[in-house]
Amino acid sequence: MIAAVIIWLLQDMIQVLAMGFMLVPEFFLLVVVYEIVSGPLSSTRISRWIWFAFAGGVVWDLRWVGVPGMTALINVLAVVLVYRIWNRMPAGGRSAPLFALLAGVTHFLSGILHYLAWAVPSQAALRLFMIQQLIAVPVLVMLSLIYAFRLRKNHA
Amino acid sequence: MTHRLNNILINTLLAVFCGLLLLWFSTAYPFLSKRLVDLTGDVLSLPEKPALELRMIVQAASNWVLERKNLQDRNKELELENLALRRALQSAAAPIPETTSELLGARVTLRYPNAWWKEVRVDKGARHGVRLGAPVVSDGFLIGVVSSVRDDYAWIELITSASFLLAAAVDDTWDLGVVEGDDRGNIWLQYTPQEKKFERGMIVSTALVGDYLPPGIPIGKIWGPGEGRDGFLPWRIASGAHLTQLYNVQILLRGAEGSLP
Repeated sequence: MIAAVIIWLLQDMIQVLAMGFMLVPEFFLLVVVYEIVSGPLSSTRISRWIWFAFAGGVVWDLRWVGVPGMTALINVLAVVLVYRIWNRMPAGGRSAPLFALLAGVTHFLSGILHYLAWAVPSQAALRLFMIQQLIAVPVLVMLSLIYAFRLRKNHA
Repeated sequence: MTHRLNNILINTLLAVFCGLLLLWFSTAYPFLSKRLVDLTGDVLSLPEKPALELRMIVQAASNWVLERKNLQDRNKELELENLALRRALQSAAAPIPETTSELLGARVTLRYPNAWWKEVRVDKGARHGVRLGAPVVSDGFLIGVVSSVRDDYAWIELITSASFLLAAAVDDTWDLGVVEGDDRGNIWLQYTPQEKKFERGMIVSTALVGDYLPPGIPIGKIWGPGEGRDGFLPWRIASGAHLTQLYNVQILLRGAEGSLP
């Protein structure tokens, strides 16, 4: 969780740097998704991550969105979605590409919900959304590689 | 397995309920919500400081050449205008008033996407002398007025906000109107008679409206007419400031005697 807190702060700082140019990708959410799939799916652990994602979302809302609750709700739904799919997947199917797909879909859904929630969806807002999604791709690839490396290490 | 699912389901439902409660709270009590937003901004301002400084350095470096040229042009323009006004005052034998106010530089620290054209927050507040209603300029053009002030920061209502109304005059013709935003980045000069015709490029400035907002602050230039209605023709104004990229602004402070130039 400390790593996720650091990533949240990093995301916040990048947003400060890029304010007016771009929307920073949801690094925090991606790391939360990574953490969920990387450990045991016990109810206590998942519940803890649900509340952690919620808290991270609330503070993000208070800092950047201005509507407390929106990102928090999106984060909670994303965590539950990832958990449900990952939990139903047999152990052999829990691969790095599936993780990349899940994390990518989660990030896209989070971005599109934020975009739709904006008061004035415009071309400029759409461009910001597209840039946000594109910048998330290298991070997604990196997380998938880390996950693949971890899988291989565990199976070795 | 069922117990595990139930536990997660309960926590999910609780979290969703809390999220909805927060959403309701933010719409039912916007003032309290804004206080929380400000408090969070205050707490995070410390870890964000290096990033903010870095942004300013990068921004300053990239804009240096452009700003320098703009400032030189503007300076030349103001010098000529000043000279002409001094000559006019001298010929009228009127005493030249001393400037008793000053401009305070401030950095934009927050601009919400959903209120992009409505408001921004800056890092100067009451402690630095900022007062409610003080005009805010960028590149020498009015961009808004201070709408709320705390000790260390202030919120500025932008000129593009739909709730922003301001008496203004077209410098060349002295025709009066009301400047109004539309929350979409446009600025309009409203309530000018339909028979009035302005030329593109004419400067629109503030008219005498109150203690804090002095007349003569340029707002922008006439761009073109809109659609007339009820005998009035709105004119679109192109702001002289770069409203899409606001990083540094200047707040006009009262002077020692409380008057404005």
